[in-house]
Amino acid sequence: MMTLCLITAGAEAADTIKIGLMGPLTGPWASEGQEMREVLNLLAADVNMAGGILNRKIEVVAEDDGGDPRTAALAAQKLITQGVIAVIGTYGSSVTEATQNIYNESRIIQVANGSTAVRLTEKGLRYFFRTCPRDDEQGRVAVHAIERLKYKRVAVLHDNTSFAKGLAEEVRGLLKNKSISIVFYDALTPGERDYTAILTKMKNARPDCVLFTGYYPEAGLLLRQKKERNWNVPFIGGDATNNPDLVKIAGKGAAQGFIFLSAPLPKDLPSKNARSFLHAFNNKYGHPPHSIYSVLAGDGFRVVMEAIKATGSTDADRIADILHTKIKDKNGLTGMITFNAKGDRAGEVYKVYQVDTQGRFILQK
Amino acid sequence: MEEFFQQLTNGLAVGGIYALIALGYTMVYGVLKLINFAHGDLFSTGAYLGLTILISFGLTDRLGPVAGVLLLALMVMGLLAIVGTMLERIAYRPLRESPRLSAVVSALGASIFLQNTLMFVYGARFQVYPHDILPDTALDLFGIDIPIVRMLILLASLVLMAALYLFIQKTRTGTAIRAVAIDQRAARLMGIDVNRVILIVFLVGPALGGVAGLMVGLLYGQINFTMGWIYGLKAFTAAILGGIGNIPGAMVGGVLLGVIEALGAAYISIAWKDAIAFFVLILILIVRPTGLLGERVAEKI
Repeated sequence: MMTLCLITAGAEAADTIKIGLMGPLTGPWASEGQEMREVLNLLAADVNMAGGILNRKIEVVAEDDGGDPRTAALAAQKLITQGVIAVIGTYGSSVTEATQNIYNESRIIQVANGSTAVRLTEKGLRYFFRTCPRDDEQGRVAVHAIERLKYKRVAVLHDNTSFAKGLAEEVRGLLKNKSISIVFYDALTPGERDYTAILTKMKNARPDCVLFTGYYPEAGLLLRQKKERNWNVPFIGGDATNNPDLVKIAGKGAAQGFIFLSAPLPKDLPSKNARSFLHAFNNKYGHPPHSIYSVLAGDGFRVVMEAIKATGSTDADRIADILHTKIKDKNGLTGMITFNAKGDRAGEVYKVYQVDTQGRFILQK
Repeated sequence: MEEFFQQLTNGLAVGGIYALIALGYTMVYGVLKLINFAHGDLFSTGAYLGLTILISFGLTDRLGPVAGVLLLALMVMGLLAIVGTMLERIAYRPLRESPRLSAVVSALGASIFLQNTLMFVYGARFQVYPHDILPDTALDLFGIDIPIVRMLILLASLVLMAALYLFIQKTRTGTAIRAVAIDQRAARLMGIDVNRVILIVFLVGPALGGVAGLMVGLLYGQINFTMGWIYGLKAFTAAILGGIGNIPGAMVGGVLLGVIEALGAAYISIAWKDAIAFFVLILILIVRPTGLLGERVAEKI
């Protein structure tokens, strides 16, 4: 009896195609990771309902990276020993970076969903892809927004984290050849409460607008303290300011008019496919997905499914080849999904948002 | 020149809060020669308890903003005084006769405990004070914009510090605290109840720290469970700057640190603001190793 059980269990395991999910299920980004798992479970259930792929069921194996590079390296090893053929994730760039080579050496496809640091795809790794955009695209969109709003004097403020500083430098480089001058360029210390000294100094540089590339807690405080001193300069933020808590911290009055760049929020995804996905998600979990990055994880999963279907195999080399060259997935939840030779997603993803009087994030045309 | 005065007022408001927290460090150090590392977390506990009371009792709706905030401040001070004495009972008194290092480790442990308790109870996300309690307008004074809230906060911290100064200098209990600070054994021989003095110090210090937390909540709106660390570090620096163990020193040190930070950010570099503040601290310690007002501890009472 015992042996029989083992044999059937073994046979079943061989039958499923295992897709790994490496995400921050605990730690500071736990809400992102939990939602990534919810999205993948929903999509996998859909695929299995339709009979699976290559007549095999899909099994999602989730491992927690804790938002921490060291934990992530262990999670990667664990996923590999469990025989996954592809891994979706993860969110933070430094966390992804710690696992890239581990997967690559084991010939496992990795599709990151939130890691936007430019260098990740500059290493020539054959099996690495990402569905999220890169920081340099964000810089271009920021400059484009500044140009369109006809601002001539820009103050650039970052917070010395590698992400925010990188974005600020990107923008500074792009503005060099334009008729827009940077009248102020400096960094604040994140985690403090009082930024009035910085605001006073910026105000004296008389900028037309302020570009802040850091995170939402500081952005909220800046907006609030700016209003306290009756300074009406427009603020533009990078995608790390995209969080409803921004409005809570700043207050609706101070947040109104704040412009930020972001991949489209789940509620603004245009395609029919996306809408039916959002509907299904809402039905299953009782709330719509909050984060675009969990939806991007879903796109990673979908595109891997497409590739397996198209090649008719689970061989990493064949999947990587087809992802690099042939896949043009028009039905992606976040729009068309194609990859370039580096494994980066082709096409522009970032959109411009503005906060309205009610504190809602409104997509700008 | 306008910018100079604007930055000066920015720095004064921040410095007032640093000074209130620094008083807690310096009072405890004065009587116990112990750096109470949990003090920064008592400060954040004050901010969280203030928010809870504010929201659950709706004080400002019932009593109006002035009376509401005053009552709220008194309640927070009362609660923090209780937390402070409990901290002393549980974490410090059993180690009174042990080597000093044991008490420091216990203080660090208490800090971690308090911080994680806050996270456990209130969650890891930012908590936000209601926005409509205090006026959010600015007063235009000779071309300098001074938000009214900031003036109120600075005024409140000055009043509290003046009250503490009078308490320490003019009352019998205050004299006892100063006596214990100078020589614990001699004070005991003179019939002073040292345990009672220490208890009072742990009533007053945390109460001031807690009310500073409340002020930060009201002024900046946003609080989180790790904020005690950075404020604690700054206030500790302020206490050393003014001369640790010396009460007027903590007040001077706090206000001075706030002003140095603001002016350093204004005229040198924002990113180097903290480095400038600590550089000034080192300079002052080289010239006056006991801090600005450090020597007055040894005065005759």
